[in-house]
Amino acid sequence: MGVAFPLLQSLQKVNQRLLEKNPAESLLFDVVLIATDSQQQSSRIISSTSHYGLEVGRFCFSSREDLVETLVANKVQLFLSTDRDETLQASQKGVLSALLGQQEAASEPLTVMLCGDAVVRPDSDSDPVPASRRAAQSFSARLGEMRGRFGASGSPLSIVLVTSSGGSESCGVALQALRSRGLSVDEAYCLAGTPRGPILSLLRPHFLLGDGVID
Amino acid sequence: MVKMSLHLVQVMQKVSPSANGDSRASWEEDEEEDEEEDEDHLGLPTTTKPVTGRRARKVEGGVFFPKPENAVTVAVSSRVLFRTELEQKVFEQKGVEEYLRYQIEHENEPFAPGPAFPFVKALETVNARLRELYPQSEELFDIVLVTYNHAHVGIRLINTINHHNLFIERFCMTGGSSPIGYLKAWHTNLYLSADADKVREALAEGIAAATMFMTEKLTEVSESQLRVAFDGDAVLFSDESERIFKAHGLDKFFQHERDNEDTLLDHGPLKGFLEALGKLQKKFYAKGQRLDCPIRTYLVTARSAASSGIRALKTLRAWGLEIDEALFLAGAPKGPMLEKIRPHIYFDDQMFHVEGAAEMGTVAAHVPYGVAQKHNQPQNPGVRK
Repeated sequence: MGVAFPLLQSLQKVNQRLLEKNPAESLLFDVVLIATDSQQQSSRIISSTSHYGLEVGRFCFSSREDLVETLVANKVQLFLSTDRDETLQASQKGVLSALLGQQEAASEPLTVMLCGDAVVRPDSDSDPVPASRRAAQSFSARLGEMRGRFGASGSPLSIVLVTSSGGSESCGVALQALRSRGLSVDEAYCLAGTPRGPILSLLRPHFLLGDGVID
Repeated sequence: MVKMSLHLVQVMQKVSPSANGDSRASWEEDEEEDEEEDEDHLGLPTTTKPVTGRRARKVEGGVFFPKPENAVTVAVSSRVLFRTELEQKVFEQKGVEEYLRYQIEHENEPFAPGPAFPFVKALETVNARLRELYPQSEELFDIVLVTYNHAHVGIRLINTINHHNLFIERFCMTGGSSPIGYLKAWHTNLYLSADADKVREALAEGIAAATMFMTEKLTEVSESQLRVAFDGDAVLFSDESERIFKAHGLDKFFQHERDNEDTLLDHGPLKGFLEALGKLQKKFYAKGQRLDCPIRTYLVTARSAASSGIRALKTLRAWGLEIDEALFLAGAPKGPMLEKIRPHIYFDDQMFHVEGAAEMGTVAAHVPYGVAQKHNQPQNPGVRK
């Protein structure tokens, strides 16, 4: 079992709970499993996922060179990988990407960490908003919609805001900005310079979102 | 979008002092922004000022985000820093959804100061003096708001912090999970909470912690000098002597103390915090400010000076800890003595003494440690919440 295994389980749990509330729900997670360099293993990958009961919407077996095109063609809204170069590449082409945490996360609830320093930047009228930031904003809006389907407690999806630099006011500004985009945060940590490591190992997010690739 | 948000946060500063009173310390100057802003017809500022250029930046130089291991970190929960009884009631009677809705609805109404408020203000006063003497030093008090509140309450808490001009730049809102892990990540030297269970958890992890209660009567405390008072047994020292007293009575207790006069007492949960205070005090002494030191510590113990008190003093001396005043009450009630000292906070392991102090207007914090916990029940459960 790999690093993303608990992540898939928790994505599934969210879908399950969404459908419980509304069997006609369309705002669900759709998982695309992308394998590069594994043409030979394709059938093994497919049978393993079904063996473990993982719900994968689509399988894509592509080459490394075609990776970003594959992502765009499949209208991927979030690309997760343990390979930093891959995520950088995808991000440069406007696909929201994030590195998967190396720490083992619990499978419930799905914990999404937002890096607040990237959440709020003054929009300058001269430069266009980079594609990856637009992707991040639209993804977080949809995430907010999804989170809104559940109540404050017992939600299978938890949103955590962490601001690393800047004091409590800048965190307050981030909370306001997120709320105005429709994303209500469950937990908030204003570090103001405290090292992130110990906090991350307590939070154990499944993945971290910033405005591009974040460690 | 972002500009709107900035305005919302800034408008809070213009709220005139409410029933909470103007809680600015005398050393702070007026807000620059209030004088310079232009307002449009809605009363909203027309220029976007960088909101980080506020209050404490008026202090010349100095460190604002000290490394946690260098600072003396005091973690306070929102329920002891502010008064949240009304909101607590909403939570208890109507559940979490209604509670959060209520908080968001009242987001622009700052909370009133709670029992830990004067203590936190005093910490900031000490910081101002430390920055004057040691502008590059990170050895300061660092106040962290640690609450297991949901982040929906975050904006109201931040608005309240701004309203009262508190310098709290670090916080964690855990949305329900235990904050204890975060206390360790922040190298917390002292944790103050309204929840005795959380305090016990912290003590079990070796973090100095105490439970605070709201009292109606609060005597005025100094705005220029931080005063911290400690009980001896089961607070600064271990509870070994109390065990003897409880098991075998007063005579055996005296006998035991005499026989062991030269044996050091073992340390108690608040020893480390007294040590941290002592380190900061020495920084003032080093600059010739012993008489004018803005930190003063007190030992207020039921031990008597002539007999059992000696062992306590010898222990403190052996630990290299100075305590400014040692008051041996030989069993007399502590309330009147505390009323004279007027500490910002008094730590005791027995609820009986905590309540006695509160009756006379002293902010007392309960340290749920040691053998006294099995024997003492609070006389007045109403005081708890």
